[in-house]
Amino acid sequence: GGLTFTFDCSAQNHVTSKLSFTVFYVKLYTEIHKPFSFRYKDLHVYQLEHPTQVLEWTSGNSVCVAGYSQSKNEILELRLPLKLLADENKSLCAERDFKVSHGGFTDGPVRCLTHIPGTRCAVTNDGLSSDLQVWDLGGEESDVIRRTGSIKGKRSASERGSRIAARPSSAPQVLHGAQISDVQLTELASGETLYKLETDSADPLSSLQFVSDTVFLAGCCNGSVYVADTRTSAPPQLSHSPSSAESVIWWTDAAAGPHPSSRRVIRVSSSGQAVVSDLRNLGGAGCQAQLDVQTPGRCSQVKVSWAPTLDDCISVSGFSGVVQIYNTRLWGAEPQEARPLFEHRGHAVSSQQTDDSVPTFVTSHIWHPERPRTLLSAASDGSVHVWDWVDPNRQGGSPTP
Amino acid sequence: QHSYSFKSYRCALVCLLPLLKECNSELLSSVLPFQGAGQDVGRSCILVSIGGKNIMLDCGMHMGYNDDRRFPDFSYITQNGRLTDFLDCLIISHFHLDHCGALPYMSEMVGYDGPIYMTHPTKAICPILLEDFRKITVDKKGETNFFTSQMIKDCMKKVIPLNLHQTVQVDDELEIKAYYAGHVLGAAMVHIKVGSESVVYTGDYNMTPDRHLGAAWIDKCRPDILISESTYATTIRDSKRCRERDFLKKVHESIERGGKVLIPVFALGRAQELCILLETFWERMNLKAPIYFSTGLTEKANHYYKLFITWTNQKIRKTFVQRNMFEFKHIKAFDRSYADNPGPMVVFATPGMLHAGQSLQIFKKWAGNEKNMVIMPGYCVQGTIGHKILNGQRKLEMEGRAQNGPLLDVKLQVEYMSFSAHADAKGIMQLIRMAEPRNMLLVHGEAVKMEFLKGKIEQEFSIDCYMPANGETTTVTTNPSVPVDISLNLLKREMALGGPLPDPKKPRTMHGTLIMKENSLKLVSSEQALKELGLNEHQLRFTCHVQLQDPHSDADTLHRIYTHLKSVLKGYTIQHLPDGTVIVESIVIKVSSSAEDSNTKVLLLSWSYQVIIEPLLKKSFLYPAVLANPPLKSDVISSFWVQTLLQFPDSNKHCGITES
Repeated sequence: GGLTFTFDCSAQNHVTSKLSFTVFYVKLYTEIHKPFSFRYKDLHVYQLEHPTQVLEWTSGNSVCVAGYSQSKNEILELRLPLKLLADENKSLCAERDFKVSHGGFTDGPVRCLTHIPGTRCAVTNDGLSSDLQVWDLGGEESDVIRRTGSIKGKRSASERGSRIAARPSSAPQVLHGAQISDVQLTELASGETLYKLETDSADPLSSLQFVSDTVFLAGCCNGSVYVADTRTSAPPQLSHSPSSAESVIWWTDAAAGPHPSSRRVIRVSSSGQAVVSDLRNLGGAGCQAQLDVQTPGRCSQVKVSWAPTLDDCISVSGFSGVVQIYNTRLWGAEPQEARPLFEHRGHAVSSQQTDDSVPTFVTSHIWHPERPRTLLSAASDGSVHVWDWVDPNRQGGSPTP
Repeated sequence: QHSYSFKSYRCALVCLLPLLKECNSELLSSVLPFQGAGQDVGRSCILVSIGGKNIMLDCGMHMGYNDDRRFPDFSYITQNGRLTDFLDCLIISHFHLDHCGALPYMSEMVGYDGPIYMTHPTKAICPILLEDFRKITVDKKGETNFFTSQMIKDCMKKVIPLNLHQTVQVDDELEIKAYYAGHVLGAAMVHIKVGSESVVYTGDYNMTPDRHLGAAWIDKCRPDILISESTYATTIRDSKRCRERDFLKKVHESIERGGKVLIPVFALGRAQELCILLETFWERMNLKAPIYFSTGLTEKANHYYKLFITWTNQKIRKTFVQRNMFEFKHIKAFDRSYADNPGPMVVFATPGMLHAGQSLQIFKKWAGNEKNMVIMPGYCVQGTIGHKILNGQRKLEMEGRAQNGPLLDVKLQVEYMSFSAHADAKGIMQLIRMAEPRNMLLVHGEAVKMEFLKGKIEQEFSIDCYMPANGETTTVTTNPSVPVDISLNLLKREMALGGPLPDPKKPRTMHGTLIMKENSLKLVSSEQALKELGLNEHQLRFTCHVQLQDPHSDADTLHRIYTHLKSVLKGYTIQHLPDGTVIVESIVIKVSSSAEDSNTKVLLLSWSYQVIIEPLLKKSFLYPAVLANPPLKSDVISSFWVQTLLQFPDSNKHCGITES
């Protein structure tokens, strides 16, 4: 809207002027169909040898990635570039590459990786059974990630992989399970089961996370959410699925803010329906929206995540080659179409994938724990992007190239 | 005939001596974080011994030191002898000072008169950089004990230029071949071959093409060892596109606020790349601010690009056919008076490290205005203005002014951007896939941990990977095939013995005499060997005494043995001769009584070497263990010895006999 242009017909050569008109038309067309001009403070684009479905912080400046091909894979710990993290003298810092600080080899795919806070230890699952693998990420003296042990899952023959959540404080303990009746808390050092969730439901899990040191949330693929406390054997609180539709799959994320009022849960379905509810009252009315997604999400790839430091912001990926950021404050009680606040299209635009018939999709993304608008995202073509986005509502100044 | 298999291991002893006394971790930590991407810091100097030849690869200078430590320590090579006597040749991979900076020191000050090889562009550009650096060190910093301009010239006279893919015979046995390495104009990898053994040295290389250079490429030459740089081996590089986008963003921001942008560049390489980039951007964004390049730059660059157009990438080559490299629509020649013009502008000027000339003049003029910007697209050596401002220094003492004079206040924005083109982990893997080496050797400037990469290479390619530290020697055992000539007669005789037809892929045992003479090996029949060496044929006869208890007379004992053998060795000729001997084929048996005890009989067995005694002795309870171990000595036919163990049925005694 509001675009005006003049067309100079005085060109000496008629053919030339016709040609330039065509080019101009194409440019104009793309301008109109872009809802916003999204801008970045920083954008770094990397190409891994193999795509990763795992992005997990091991510290404020390093992140773990791992391959998911059927046979052999690598687990890498990457250090973020100094230029991105530098606050002072950023312009004098030319270092913009990832450094592989540690690496190791696995025999199978890595579908899930959880870092145990305060340690150099990580736990993985291959997505084929509910068994877990335990890894030593290596220290100063070695750059090799070594497998140190394993934890037997409740059912070894299950075809579904486990979800893993690390207990935030206390000795290394992980909560894990492939379906809601499997969920158990295991101590890493002894392999002892400290807690089991008491339920008969066999619903497969889509997410598992601690919301405090003892209370955890287990989201099921059918949209129901369980909240339980590992200190008691009391039955968990159950919140039923927001919709009764059978074919959709739901993913869940809880915001773990310091105030009880900020503890909210978002559920996103494979059809793009999003529901926000209060963790203290999951059954109560919350706000909702229909997200601007094109394709129905695939079962294992959709990821929804609350921004750790920005209020009300969520990020969604896995529906296509983009990562979207929405402001849930704008949502109402009735599901209306929501427009993303920001959209990272880089993976789809600059895809390295040679086969055009399979479009690139985002496999995972993660917010930086402290830097408000810095995210990492990975895609099926092996690309990993680190981006610091600019809020379009707050932006000023000139457009960038 | 005795058979023995011939096995030989010759070692290609490769000693690797990155020859600097100390590694550069100290320098890096003191400069961090500004030199994080401080590419080209450190040095390279490697000594390879292969098939008896000594080759030095690169002769770099350490940019972090101001004393003798910046040069390689040649006492590692030889304590008192001359370098020329020890080294067969020196090869320089490219013109960066960390790869060629110590060249005049080595050839003119330490003394080396042997051949020095480098590519044509390196030969042209290397002396310019050496002279630049000499000026900074001697003229600006006032250092003595450094090489002179004349030494640079004399040194360059010893250089023999290399063409890509051209095999150069250094001497009768040593040959070298250069391959394209990307990285910078003229950068090369070298394949060094002596006999059937070979080594590839990469120097610095880049596996992804950029705007003006192509990607490194090499034959599937399967060297015994691939020596690769590994500066960026633990790195996953940010995309070129993001680097360029940031560069354009910075230039654009400065232009938008009415500032002037200075880009100090070296005449070649990145300058062309950045010009192409800005030209496209100006066109796309319809920008009006002028872009200038200093005139010296164009002439020099055009000159070199005309000379070395084949070293750039396809696109540049095509463009160059159509128009002059610097015929840009938006980029015009600079005049020194333009620096004072009002309004925004972008200027490319030499030299790249702001140590003299036009770039320094413009810098001084513009430094006071915070709207302006200087973009440093590469590494700067210590002691230059470029190095100082990259370290965050904001007040500069300018020379030519009195001591304690006013300091130059640097208010303009300083941007450091790295456009260096090195292979990262992925690039190293790509090169290994291309060259298929039997062993991998990573040379690293810093003491970085690369156990994971080593494991990855060893797993993926099933080869050994080595990472020697400074001054450490790595020895790699090779298993070369040693050609041996065989006489036709011998071959025919072998064929006559039957068996499968010879198959080049399957080993086969041959019987013959191996003669090593004057560095050649041949296998001939023993008769021919005797003839050739003028030796007489000797008959070997083996004897053995066996004691046994038997109360009969000597003649009766012999008869009993005769009857026994007759019964067990059916089908063999066994004779009892009247002179008191029993002969089995050619084995002679005699009996005599012991002097002390007439009941103790001593059996004398005797046989010639030719007799196939084994089945005979086995059947007659005479069990032999025949061992052959021919030591190989030049010009000597191997000698044999046989040890036999005999056992009689009614005697538990063993006795060993040896050839008399």
